[in-house]
Amino acid sequence: MDAQGQERFREFVENRSSALLKTAVLLSGGDRHAAEDLLQNALIKAAGRWQRIDEPEAYVRRILYRQQVSRWRLKWRRRELTVAEPPEGTGGGDAASAAELRIVMRGALARLTPRQRTVLVLRYFEDLPEADVARILGCSVGTVRSTTHRSLARLRALAPELAALGLADAEQPPSRDYSPVEVRP
Amino acid sequence: MNVDDLVRESLREQATEQPPLGPGFADRVLTVRRRRTRTLASVAAATAAAVAVAVAVPLATGGEEDVRPASQMNKSDIIGHPNQSPPRDLIAAGDTVLSAFWVYKNVKQPNGDTIFTRTYGLLDQKTGKYVKTKKWAFLDIAPGSRTAAVLEGELPARRIGLLDLISGKVERWIPVDRGVGGVAFSPDGEKLVATTYSRNPDRNSADHPQNVDGKEVPGPVQSRTGFAVVDVDSGTSEWHKAPDKPDEFGWFGNPREDFDWSHDGKLVYAHRAMEPYREYYDLNGDEADWPANEKSLGYAEAGLSPDGKLAAGEFAGRGPKEIASAINDAKTGKRVTTVPVQQLLAWADNKRLIAWGCDPEKCSGTGEFRNQLLLVTVGTNKVVPLSDFRKASADYPGRWDPLFSSR
Repeated sequence: MDAQGQERFREFVENRSSALLKTAVLLSGGDRHAAEDLLQNALIKAAGRWQRIDEPEAYVRRILYRQQVSRWRLKWRRRELTVAEPPEGTGGGDAASAAELRIVMRGALARLTPRQRTVLVLRYFEDLPEADVARILGCSVGTVRSTTHRSLARLRALAPELAALGLADAEQPPSRDYSPVEVRP
Repeated sequence: MNVDDLVRESLREQATEQPPLGPGFADRVLTVRRRRTRTLASVAAATAAAVAVAVAVPLATGGEEDVRPASQMNKSDIIGHPNQSPPRDLIAAGDTVLSAFWVYKNVKQPNGDTIFTRTYGLLDQKTGKYVKTKKWAFLDIAPGSRTAAVLEGELPARRIGLLDLISGKVERWIPVDRGVGGVAFSPDGEKLVATTYSRNPDRNSADHPQNVDGKEVPGPVQSRTGFAVVDVDSGTSEWHKAPDKPDEFGWFGNPREDFDWSHDGKLVYAHRAMEPYREYYDLNGDEADWPANEKSLGYAEAGLSPDGKLAAGEFAGRGPKEIASAINDAKTGKRVTTVPVQQLLAWADNKRLIAWGCDPEKCSGTGEFRNQLLLVTVGTNKVVPLSDFRKASADYPGRWDPLFSSR
């Protein structure tokens, strides 16, 4: 990267890193250190191809999502996430306020697999349609749909306090065009 | 309120709480990048980079995808099955696992061609057993033995699959611009070198007959076009022209001459039919010098020890009876010692190797082909059997060949 490229890179990081970090934190289940590592690694990859990237933010985001999902390929050291709240929740289901439910939800999200969490972040934080999520993750719409369905079911299993909540659209019984899990381009 | 509304609200709340990054993050990124690029020269640093890439995440529990690979769950240092050939249950030693094996058959085609067709015994990381599959024309296993890169259909393939060895499903397909016949993961698992061909490197053509034992049979056609370096996360790749080169008589070696990685992951190389028998390229597609510590490497598949100090050498038995393979100093190429086996396949750690070895009492004649996987320790004559024997024939239906990866 030449000096001009480095300047552009610095400018990009300065302007966009906080927004990118938010996504990285959510992908990492709230682990700030893991999120910074994730973002740092995505930016290192972007720096390597800086002169050839037309839309840096889209590129870095794609790396963030895919890295998070495909990290499973490698043997790596896991560590427990220290969360302030016990994952079981903070109190009885009926009495739980909206704020308490969000805390419970946060604990449950942290316990999903990276793939499940990534799909939920893309669907519900980035508000992307299923087709866009599938394109970003390089999988089929059917896979996105089934992963969303399973992830929401898993959240309910992890946090019984959520039982009183209504079914999301993604949790409705599958229609006949329910696609198989196998990935197709 | 629906559960998805709550997911949405919780994620937004968590995102807004994040304090911004401190100043100088861009410089930190650029510094780490420079350091990583420089230090990848050493094996230890390559390992560290892999760990750095593999960021820590919370331990998810109970999810259906949250299963640890059988090869990591079973922590025994040596897992052998000396009564199994081909193996049915997980075999591993030290840091290395037998992640797959394959058998082949030359399948005749309607036009008279033959296709060298592999059946893989692929490790199912859920059960720790090898499962036979004809689904993949070619594959390689990533470090950590969690994912395989797979090619399907008749080669060359137009996409590379990333197969999860726990779920048995293809996690993602990476499209490639040029037909791929072979793939190999880089030592850190972040890249693939995909060898490109214009024809199926496993197909022998009736139009190019060769004479084998006085009989005319379909022959090979050289068609290697080059290689692509694929970044696994982003799916981006860069292709470089690198056709196979003939020897001094104009003859080519094998129709399949795939690229593989140098020990430090900075270069790729392929074997050649004439001296210097290997050609190295950097990742920009320029020809490169042999790395100094790889100069003593020949055809022994084990290559360099993980710390890069020792080089697995060729068969070194003297006289008709001695069974021995050389262990050389990687820097000087000088022989350090020998180990009592026929063919060095993979390092289990810095002192031990997995190898083919025959029964010393029955090793003469075709007995040399009756061999089993053994674990040997450098500097000793100790051998530990890991599998049962293959039959005493160089080529019979079902004769299996192993693929190893890190555990």
